[in-house]
Amino acid sequence: MPDHPLVVRKVAVLGAGVMGAQIAAHLVNANVPVILFELPAKEGNANGNVLKAVANLKKLEPSPLALKDKADLIEPANYDQHLERLRDCDIVIEAISERMDWKADLYKKVAPYLGQHTIFASNTSGLSINKLAAAFPEQQRHRFCGVHFFNPPRYMHLVELIACTGTDAGILDDLERFLVTTLGKGVIRAKDTPNFIANRVGVFSMLATIHHAERLGIGFDTVDALTGSLIGRPKSATFRTADVVGLDTFAHVVNTMRDTLPDDPWHQYYGVPAWLQKLIDEGALGQKTRKGVYQKIGRDIQVLDLKTGGYRVSDGKADETIVEILKNKNPAERFAQLHASSHPQAQFIWSIFRDSFHYCALHLESIAHNARDLDFAIRWGFGWDAGPFEIWQSTGWKQIAGWISEDIAAGKSMVNAPLPAWAADPSRIGVHRPDGSYAPGSNSYQPRSVLAVYKRQPFPDKLLGEERQYGTTIFETDGVRCWHTGDDIAIVSFKSRMHAIGDDVLQGVQQAIAEAENNYIGLVVWQIDPPFSVGANLKKSSGNTAKPAPPSALGKLFKSVKREAESLALKAARQIGVADQLMAGKLAEVEHLVEQFQITTQMLKYSMVPTVAAVDGLALGGGCEFVMHCDRAVATLESYIGLVEVGVGLLPAGGGCKEFAMRAAADAKGGDMSPFLQKYFKAVAMAEVGRSAEHAREIGYLRVTDRIIMNRFELLEIAKAEIRAMAAAGYRPPLRAKAIPALGRSGISTIRAFMENMRAGGHISEHDYLIGTKVATVLCGGDIEGGSLVDEQWFLDLERQHFMELIATEKTQARIEQMLKTGKPLRN
Amino acid sequence: MSKQVQDAYIVAATRSAVGKAPRGMFKNTRPDDLLAYVLKSAVAQCPGLDLNEIGDVITGCAMPEGEQGMNVARIGLLLAGFPDTVPGLTINRFCSSGVQAVADAAARIRLGEADVMIAAGTESMSMVPMGGNKPTFSPGVFEKDENVAIAYGMGITAERVAERWKVSREDQDLFAAESHRRALRATDSGEFKDEISVYTINDRLPDLTTREIKVNTRQAAHDEGPRRDTSPEGLAKLRPAFAAKGSVTAGNSSQMSDGAGAVVLMSEAALKRYKLQPLGRFVGYAVAGVPPDVMGIGPIKAIPKVLAQAGITQDALDWIELNEAFAAQSLAVIRELGLDPAKVNPLGGAIALGHPLGATGAIRVATLMHGLRRQKKKYGMVTMCIGTGMGAAGVFESL
Repeated sequence: MPDHPLVVRKVAVLGAGVMGAQIAAHLVNANVPVILFELPAKEGNANGNVLKAVANLKKLEPSPLALKDKADLIEPANYDQHLERLRDCDIVIEAISERMDWKADLYKKVAPYLGQHTIFASNTSGLSINKLAAAFPEQQRHRFCGVHFFNPPRYMHLVELIACTGTDAGILDDLERFLVTTLGKGVIRAKDTPNFIANRVGVFSMLATIHHAERLGIGFDTVDALTGSLIGRPKSATFRTADVVGLDTFAHVVNTMRDTLPDDPWHQYYGVPAWLQKLIDEGALGQKTRKGVYQKIGRDIQVLDLKTGGYRVSDGKADETIVEILKNKNPAERFAQLHASSHPQAQFIWSIFRDSFHYCALHLESIAHNARDLDFAIRWGFGWDAGPFEIWQSTGWKQIAGWISEDIAAGKSMVNAPLPAWAADPSRIGVHRPDGSYAPGSNSYQPRSVLAVYKRQPFPDKLLGEERQYGTTIFETDGVRCWHTGDDIAIVSFKSRMHAIGDDVLQGVQQAIAEAENNYIGLVVWQIDPPFSVGANLKKSSGNTAKPAPPSALGKLFKSVKREAESLALKAARQIGVADQLMAGKLAEVEHLVEQFQITTQMLKYSMVPTVAAVDGLALGGGCEFVMHCDRAVATLESYIGLVEVGVGLLPAGGGCKEFAMRAAADAKGGDMSPFLQKYFKAVAMAEVGRSAEHAREIGYLRVTDRIIMNRFELLEIAKAEIRAMAAAGYRPPLRAKAIPALGRSGISTIRAFMENMRAGGHISEHDYLIGTKVATVLCGGDIEGGSLVDEQWFLDLERQHFMELIATEKTQARIEQMLKTGKPLRN
Repeated sequence: MSKQVQDAYIVAATRSAVGKAPRGMFKNTRPDDLLAYVLKSAVAQCPGLDLNEIGDVITGCAMPEGEQGMNVARIGLLLAGFPDTVPGLTINRFCSSGVQAVADAAARIRLGEADVMIAAGTESMSMVPMGGNKPTFSPGVFEKDENVAIAYGMGITAERVAERWKVSREDQDLFAAESHRRALRATDSGEFKDEISVYTINDRLPDLTTREIKVNTRQAAHDEGPRRDTSPEGLAKLRPAFAAKGSVTAGNSSQMSDGAGAVVLMSEAALKRYKLQPLGRFVGYAVAGVPPDVMGIGPIKAIPKVLAQAGITQDALDWIELNEAFAAQSLAVIRELGLDPAKVNPLGGAIALGHPLGATGAIRVATLMHGLRRQKKKYGMVTMCIGTGMGAAGVFESL
């Protein structure tokens, strides 16, 4: 234990550059008071430099801030005037330029002002922590370490935690707890080697990609087509990632490797290629200068072409035969085909994997504590779906190791250093085992960290080879699995793709609620992986139709409707104008589902046991309505919640409009509810989606009583804690409201007046106007006198009526069709 | 068709400077306080006036609610320290409320019902937004197609005028730039000095460093609206504010503003009794209705009507204060009636000087009366278009 338990009252960040400012932003996202330091401005307000950086935070996309206004909660400071304020800070994070001399100067300057228990951590991405520590006063060195955030820090899960020789172990544990629970990060303990783990491996992988692309004459755009989602990496793949990161930053990391790793077998490759240096010299640094490997001219994306030295339209594609290979779900077959193919693109992909595997195997012992840490570092820091060792192991360790050794012997690999003995061992089947991951130094399998903070993660991020049992099944249907973890709380998880809600899910949730009422103290709606749910799926359950589901969130929802819309009968009916009657037969099914939806959400609200929606990622449409009806939501900051039905010409009919109508009445506290209702109208009519859980709360999808948390792996535990608290407080469902004031017909006409101007100004179409009018009609309680008292069912009936009227219109059907065909909304 | 028994004379006409809304100098100044101030300032310009003789204080206000609700005329005059024997009446005809107040006050004198009247206008668009605090529309608006324009925002009607009267974006921007140029020239050469009563703003603000209440005191001596950095090129870059593919922008529309104005009117008998020199004579006033969806053309109907009433020709007008609700409607009116652009808003208009809705009429009467006198001109007019489709025009003679 450290001599002083870490209570983080306040944090200081030194350096308001790209990383420093964004780290400060993430601290305020987590409600941690933060002081952001920068050099004093030469003229004007001495805090001018910080204020500029803070203002810039509001413009960055994707936003580093959960709510734009939170930027103003960052306290600006400068080194000339405010060093005294450091005394109140429990953690100081240094994030200034990567210059050893500048950092050393700064340490000397600030050290006397640090509090007795202040932890001082450098966010260096490559400098040696021990060398930096040497610049720190010896008596304070036990509170010095490295914390390496990844850009953008709000979104990248990884933080590497690096000790110096003297760092107090307890301090590291405390810091890890803070980073994991308070900031929601995934912490990897890295060794003090150049660029630590993720950048070392990730940047090598990029260098290998550049090397093999040049060797095989594959253009940058084609490289990106091959090295993105096709091989389980981010869509920005290799060169677009470099553009986003900044080519100068990339070069800096490469140069660090060149300067600090003279004995590395791959040292000859640690260099900035001439073309890249030329771009940097010309000031083409990527996204921040709007020109890099790519540039956008008008609507065209252009890519640098090394053959001509100029830019050309970016249209590189993966060869169809290669795509076929990469789509093969069996990794062993996939790699065998790549390895066997003489196609340059296949050879390219095999080569970059081979050299990355080779590199990781050779360096694992020196850079990481075990193979798990390396894999997670790459997954969390570079966004790969699987780490290099996971891929290797899933592909057949021995086979791949054999091929690598063959290529090394044949001089095909980048360097001829042999695989380490442990990796080449023919009896090896992998590095990840249920009991731990391989650590070459000790030749042992190391289990996961036993720090107390991980007790909050019963189901941490999955690793290949780990056996994972998600509790004990209570019952399972086609739509859901209801289960528990050995305690008295029931959990229901959806089995559908993207966790869309169809009839089977609705029936399953209803059954789960009944089960929970009889045998448990509460019910948590939790998904093993995000999203929470992309919304309703009106398709009737028909077992597993193993079709590749459309990527669009709303795709499934509209498939059945599309079929109907395309039916000959319907087309004929349209011509003679009796579509409504003819469609009635099939739409009855849809109406039945809407009804079931409403029954389910009402059950979530009025069940005899507390219900909690544990939200991470998307919660759209019907998913959002589930969230709105549970007694409480626990949402990670990265939850994107919204009622998006209007986007395809429909309106929320699973109780979403009803809840907003009731919330407006409650918000008004007996006063005028129109400003509240108009706000909710805007949310529904514009299909607003919260850009964070806090934003969703600002819009009104989340309530003040709902919890926002930072780490998705803690979600289930916190949701269960909420259940326990409600149950312990003697939970009773809310009494059914029988006298909800409605805004009525005047409210409808006032909203129509607003839309009338939008229509006259050409901002919305006739159909938008119709949809908006219907949303207004439902929210206002229909054509009744303002202030009339109605009950929930009144609103629910209106929802259903107007949903069905909209789905019967040609234009809504056209929107649905277009969404299906192109994934893009239709304006009609 | 003159039915009057006597003439009504303008003895004093003053106004506050006009502040920008909603974040300008008067953002914390209540419209009732501002009204009280201009009332006090106006009667101060009539030495010896027995306030008990004031027949009524008629005050125009376009959104008479909230801080300017509850019959702001009576509240304002009591806050001004007028004796409680003085009555007060708030009236509303949107943008013409201020000049309507002058006309109504004049009417009482002309009918022989009063010898001393005060007309005023006050509006804080910072505190009470356009449309009021709770805009709401009757379902009846949507029951008849012709009535839908009741719901139209003013910007949409300006787009319709621009379209139907073929007023180009370029012309609108040029007109707007000229308004700023004239307003700045007038401000710099002190043309507004005679009419502006300088209000002392005392904002009481929390100082979180010293934990004290800081009183921020400023003198509101000049209009806040005119911009030195305005140019046709700069204006051309602005996006349409109301219609997706429109031509009406924030730059060629009137500004939202805060301000107040007050005018003292007397009969000839009162003038003699108090030995006061009038600024001018009220000549006539007319209003007319037009279709709501092109409300901006209101003056096209109101101007000929009042000229016929007054028995003078359009050419006899030396100075026309045409409220620049929008450059689009201003140009449509100027072109349709053949008004001389040099005579229209010689000191700039609402695009530069601002438009505190119900106060504008009273404010521009002050501008006109002092302007005519300085330049030794005779006939002048204050005219404007009015939301839901009306026009108003008042004619004044300098003495």
